[in-house]
Amino acid sequence: MQAQAVRTVAAGVLLPASLLVLWQVAAERGWIDALFFPRPTDIVARTWEHVRDGRIVTDSEITLKRLLLGFVLGAAPGIVLGLAAGTTRFIRALLYPLASALYVVPRIALLPLALVTFSIGDPARVFMVAFGVFFITFFGSLSAAEQVERNHVDTARAFGASYHQVMRSVIVPGASPSIFTSLRVAMGVALIVIISVEFLASNSGLGSFIWRRYQIFDFPSMYSGIVAVTVLGVAINALLLMLERSLLPWRR
Amino acid sequence: MTILVRPRARASWSPHAVEIAGLSVRYPGPGSVLALEGLDLAVAAGSFHAILGPSGCGKSTLLKVLGGLVRATAGEWRIAGGRRPAYVPQGNSCFPWLTAEANVAYGLWVQGRPRRERRAVARALLASLGLQEFAESYPHQLSEGMRQRVAIARAFAVNAPLLIMDEPLSALDFQTKIQVQGELLRLWSDRQATVLYVTHDIDEALTLADRVSVLSGRPGRLLGTIEVPFPRPRSYRDVRNQPGYPDAFRQLFELLEERSA
Repeated sequence: MQAQAVRTVAAGVLLPASLLVLWQVAAERGWIDALFFPRPTDIVARTWEHVRDGRIVTDSEITLKRLLLGFVLGAAPGIVLGLAAGTTRFIRALLYPLASALYVVPRIALLPLALVTFSIGDPARVFMVAFGVFFITFFGSLSAAEQVERNHVDTARAFGASYHQVMRSVIVPGASPSIFTSLRVAMGVALIVIISVEFLASNSGLGSFIWRRYQIFDFPSMYSGIVAVTVLGVAINALLLMLERSLLPWRR
Repeated sequence: MTILVRPRARASWSPHAVEIAGLSVRYPGPGSVLALEGLDLAVAAGSFHAILGPSGCGKSTLLKVLGGLVRATAGEWRIAGGRRPAYVPQGNSCFPWLTAEANVAYGLWVQGRPRRERRAVARALLASLGLQEFAESYPHQLSEGMRQRVAIARAFAVNAPLLIMDEPLSALDFQTKIQVQGELLRLWSDRQATVLYVTHDIDEALTLADRVSVLSGRPGRLLGTIEVPFPRPRSYRDVRNQPGYPDAFRQLFELLEERSA
């Protein structure tokens, strides 16, 4: 069993490790332009420098704060309204057409509107994240609520459960696995949105860090920023998985 | 053994556990389906009454009407005392996110009963079904037979005078089915409840029931009811050794054949 676990981890590490080795060799031998694609060892060294001088840590904290705030402000109403629309015909009829129309608007196209509405500052960046997260969790929760097994809803109703009892004891737990999946998808989108917004409208955060290093052709530092974003994304995804496992013990 | 006359709607209801008169159910929509038509049925209080019929004859619809899940299009029905029946739906109805104990206690939770009471009732029922060791297990950790025991225990937990069961044992293997049938009869006998039990299995109906009503194919109408005279306590094997068994089986078989006539 343990040997199998080691083999699984090794298989997962093999491809990225091979690509890094290939990249290192290609940069050293001059097969690729080392200005744009510096050696991975140089990127690691530069990342460590930025960690020590604190800049990348500070920018990561700023991005993380905007990301989490926007995520919560988008996901909470997204889940609540999605579940309500998935279980109540009137609420579905009320929300679905508008949500469907707004869902297809490219997130970044709303940035000027957000800047005008909230002025340049964190509220506009947080709004952009929340807007992106809301629709994914809304449609994810709506579909999850609709797919809860009819037999379970009928059983609850036959025992005399009220609408709120059915929601609490059947719809929410039954829809939870799909809601968690939509949360993980939404987190990926939230990360893309916040980095894009920081590229265009921020002097702080990892997006701004990456963009400004790109503008002065400091590519090793630019890659450091990308590494930090990747670490952030992987860590948050792992946390969501841990949360899912602890909240849904029956799925193990 | 007698073929009973179909009960008709009456001005004053008699003390049956369930009385149904002229019940019709049409599912609306583009593919509108008439599931039940003019169904008359009386279920004696304290009896185990089986409903037998082919697939799609409206047996499940009948239980859903009694359970408040489907509205009747026409006709009357009444449950003595007016209390909500306890329902065991078809298929796997255990909530996967609740432990066996919480599943059994579900109806009591709906009623707002205190945690201590819910726990005590659920533990006692699980113990009576030999599942005390699995109280904290989730349904996916239980066998199919154990899950159906939990669903049956959940229905008995609310102590309803009427239990309605929709083919609860149809997915079980033969040996498990026989075992759970015995446990079901023991619980029914201890609680002195009325059970309305839907099945498509003649043997099961004759093993469990005091009376067996046969419905026609869609739309479901009552073709007849027979009394099962075998003594209790019964078991699957005892029933097959009864001298009246072949005759009872033949009567039910002929009634079922009548649906296609």
